[in-house]
Amino acid sequence: MRLDPARVQQLQAAAEAENRTLTNYVETALLRDLANREETSRVITMRAAPGAAATIDPRDVTRGSDESDTAYARRQAVLTELWSIPDSD
Amino acid sequence: MPPGAFVRVLFPTHEKPRRPGLLHIGYVLGSTTKDALLAYTTSQPWASGVPLPAGARLFDFDEAAALNQSRPFILRLDILAKLPLNADWFPHIHTPDQGVIAVAPARLRDEISDLAMHLVRRHRALIQMRGA
Repeated sequence: MRLDPARVQQLQAAAEAENRTLTNYVETALLRDLANREETSRVITMRAAPGAAATIDPRDVTRGSDESDTAYARRQAVLTELWSIPDSD
Repeated sequence: MPPGAFVRVLFPTHEKPRRPGLLHIGYVLGSTTKDALLAYTTSQPWASGVPLPAGARLFDFDEAAALNQSRPFILRLDILAKLPLNADWFPHIHTPDQGVIAVAPARLRDEISDLAMHLVRRHRALIQMRGA
């Protein structure tokens, strides 16, 4: 990798401030950038805990005490669809 | 757990997506008797010049205060978690308030549902484009 010497000095200083080698600092920055791009391209990132249901029946959605029929129906629809999105990781 | 609740939750992180993470405030999109679907919130300032993701809803100081939160925050409907309703994930679930800080009023819940539906359509379109 070829970089401007002034830029290398900046990176070196940033790495030293975090007690890391320049290689480790650059590698971490690249991996973080890749993770951000991946997350952005997904639109929705889903994290599913072990044991949580993979899908739900709309009838099982808990209704809010002050929720109108229309609002509940709309939320049932969106929730069922969101819930069906598999784990992203 | 009431829909529209802002609740204390150990929201899973990117690094350890299947384990309880740091204590955050999550937004309850909905739940069953066993599990809940939550959206991530953060009060970390957003970097200037970086556009907000499609699923982000910014709450300014006044809106945050109305929801019993001391700082402006961002609700990220694009970062979700399906979590069992137990103390492993919701450390205050057995207290009287269950860790619920505030419940969004009906109008705000509707706005968030609409935003979530918009995201679902984008997500579906992206999946179709990729042929997955």
